[in-house]
Amino acid sequence: MHKGLHTTLKIAIRLLVGAVVLFSFNLIYWKYFWMKDLDKHGPMLYNLIEIQDTFDALYFGESSNFTTHPDDYNQLRISDNISAEFEGWRLGALNHGAYHVGMFRPLVSRVHNFKNRKTVIVTMNLRTFNQDVIYSPSEANLQLSTRFYKRSPALLNRVFVSFNYYDNRSGHERDLLKWKAWTYDTLKSTYDSISFEKNTIRRWCEVPKFLDSNGVQDDAKRQLADQYIKAYAFQIDEHNPMLKEFDDLVGIAKRKNLNLVFNLIPENIEDAQLYIGDNLVWLMRSNRDFLVERYTEQGILVVDNLELLESKHFIDRAVIPQEHYDAEGRERVGKSVANALKNQRTNVTDPE
Amino acid sequence: MLFNSVAFLIFLPVVVLLYYLLPQKFCWVLLLAASYVFYGSWKIEFLCLIIFSTIVDFYVGKLMHRATEKWRRNALLAVSLTANLGLLFVFKYLVLFLPPMDPMIANIYTVDHPFLGFIVQGIYFTIPVGISFYTFQTLSYTIDIYHRRIEPETHIGHFALFVTFFPQLVAGPIERFSRLMPQLKEKHQATYRQFQKAFRLMLYGFFIKMCIADNLSPLVDMVYDNPALFNGWSTWFGTFGFGLQIYTDFAGYSLIAQGAALCLGINLIDNFKTPYFSTSIGEFWNRWHISLSNWFRDYLYIPLGGNKVSLLRWSVNILAVFIISGFWHGANYTFLIWGAIHGLLYLVERGINARKRLPQTRLVRFIGGILIFASVNLAWLFFRIDTLTDVPNHVSQLFHSTGATVLELTWPLVAMLGVFLVFELLLYNNRIDRLLDKFNLPLRWTIYALFVWCITAWAGVTNHPFIYFQF
Repeated sequence: MHKGLHTTLKIAIRLLVGAVVLFSFNLIYWKYFWMKDLDKHGPMLYNLIEIQDTFDALYFGESSNFTTHPDDYNQLRISDNISAEFEGWRLGALNHGAYHVGMFRPLVSRVHNFKNRKTVIVTMNLRTFNQDVIYSPSEANLQLSTRFYKRSPALLNRVFVSFNYYDNRSGHERDLLKWKAWTYDTLKSTYDSISFEKNTIRRWCEVPKFLDSNGVQDDAKRQLADQYIKAYAFQIDEHNPMLKEFDDLVGIAKRKNLNLVFNLIPENIEDAQLYIGDNLVWLMRSNRDFLVERYTEQGILVVDNLELLESKHFIDRAVIPQEHYDAEGRERVGKSVANALKNQRTNVTDPE
Repeated sequence: MLFNSVAFLIFLPVVVLLYYLLPQKFCWVLLLAASYVFYGSWKIEFLCLIIFSTIVDFYVGKLMHRATEKWRRNALLAVSLTANLGLLFVFKYLVLFLPPMDPMIANIYTVDHPFLGFIVQGIYFTIPVGISFYTFQTLSYTIDIYHRRIEPETHIGHFALFVTFFPQLVAGPIERFSRLMPQLKEKHQATYRQFQKAFRLMLYGFFIKMCIADNLSPLVDMVYDNPALFNGWSTWFGTFGFGLQIYTDFAGYSLIAQGAALCLGINLIDNFKTPYFSTSIGEFWNRWHISLSNWFRDYLYIPLGGNKVSLLRWSVNILAVFIISGFWHGANYTFLIWGAIHGLLYLVERGINARKRLPQTRLVRFIGGILIFASVNLAWLFFRIDTLTDVPNHVSQLFHSTGATVLELTWPLVAMLGVFLVFELLLYNNRIDRLLDKFNLPLRWTIYALFVWCITAWAGVTNHPFIYFQF
């Protein structure tokens, strides 16, 4: 045989054997090791696999769902409160602190297709559209988990993780990107757009705040005020990566015939008004309007709870703008979502 | 671009394919472009430094070769030393003399002043990858020209390739011009045998880096990050675990580098030869990071007088070489102490041998091996620890019976450590590509499958860059 042909054949046989070996490895890994890896590195998919067939609906949440206060009169989660409104209807909760739509999207794509249209409630947190979350230092770890959630062969996902095929930029790098965004991302329009000159987060934060008659600043209040600016002084546009994730999620839900519901969770509007004022509240409301309009038009039920709660229900209000509510707050959010679902059932002929 | 990245797994075959498709005269262009892409993928700004180093040493080399007066040659050598060591000083050691900086302040400064910010970032936080390696490689070039050991390169493109050749750019092996340059200029034919060897080197390299080093790393980090939390058993594990981690991390990198270069027909020198089986400190340094040991021997130890000086002077020189070698690793006093410990161990060993040479029986060698293994691994404590104040805590913890345990070793990790130990024993005075030649086809393929399984299913999960990248 010609030497070149011989070598080619030799290589071809090796490649074929290699492919068979890899295929077998994928089966072995999937059968015996995948769930162990999921339990450790992709906990929400692990939970999804465990519970999805035993529940009528699923609630994808983050810390807003399960964070409680020691003085709360009960420890019920938002999802428990929704569930309580429907007798015999089981709502399974999947929660993980700091998760956002970037993690929920691949998870929803792994929800089984059912004959009956399944309801999937996804937490929509306005704050996750800001640069602080987009460039969060904890994002690398979340992205690692997300890799495990992708709909690729189990072993391939494992290989991609160990070969660093996910967004694993360091916290320092992300922090630099965040400062760039805070410096250069300008607000296109604001409530008092004529006089408003502090059109970036950095400039806005630099404005002196809470000065007493002697010109001395109340540092604690100022710091909290700046946290509000960093949390909400942005305008969602088509380039926002979280928006793209929500759009993709809608596409997945349509393909899988899921009844997708967005629970736009409450923000502390009262304190935003108190610490910053009309301009910031206007931004929050206009972002809310943008989201509600966009997804309602696409046939998604968006439960607008943005202004549902007063400041007293936010348990971290003295420290940071955060969507952690007391028991009454969680109960009201739960009821609000439940009512929206009831209305949906009444208005639409829904097999669920 | 990390070797253990999907980007590299695509990058390498593309470069290799183009390399063998292109006519010989364009190969250097391809490799140079590939090397700049490889290096620039970390931070494009760092390319400025490597290009600066390349230009300085290329022209210094040319001028030095032409110069006949001693003073002119000395002056040119001083220019090269100042440029390269200056670069190294600014980006690696200057931080020791500066007040600490809040990373957030540095980031804000970088946003406002991108160019100066890049320098500030380089000085404080992101040391340019591989700067210690390529500056030493280019220094060896100018020093060799100074001593008229080699002729300078006349083509700046070829010289730039010698400085930046991507498989060994960021963590060695530190190659010599006389060895690497002729290979880079040569036309190579792709052969099955060459790719087979390259595959074996890379496979074993990935196995020890990703399965041993990356799986040990979280356990070792836990012990070093919170020394007071863990019991003695765990602290011993963490201490010796780091010895294993750094070896498998760096030797793994070197094997992948050798394999990647071999895909292009280029042989890089062996950087590690089962160093933990050494029976003396001298032997250890002949087996550990060989290209750096050779560099210090040829460009520091011998110019200082080698062994042709008085005993006292020789002892001082040995200590100096080891301390400088320690300092080469990083801008921290702990590295100086680590180097000094090795220097002292070497002097003690030579002192014992000078008084009475021990018979080289198996028992003596075995005991020697155990002692060297223990000493080297305990010395790593100074290499790994963040500050000297942590040392007493860590050492006292070695003898505590209370505390948490990190010894939750999973059975796959234990199995992989077993496989590694067996292969290290088999690889004593051998190399993986040659060792596998001795096995028949079914056994060889079983071994390949075993390594592939470990790399794909059991490799470490969290992102661990190669330890030596920080140097």
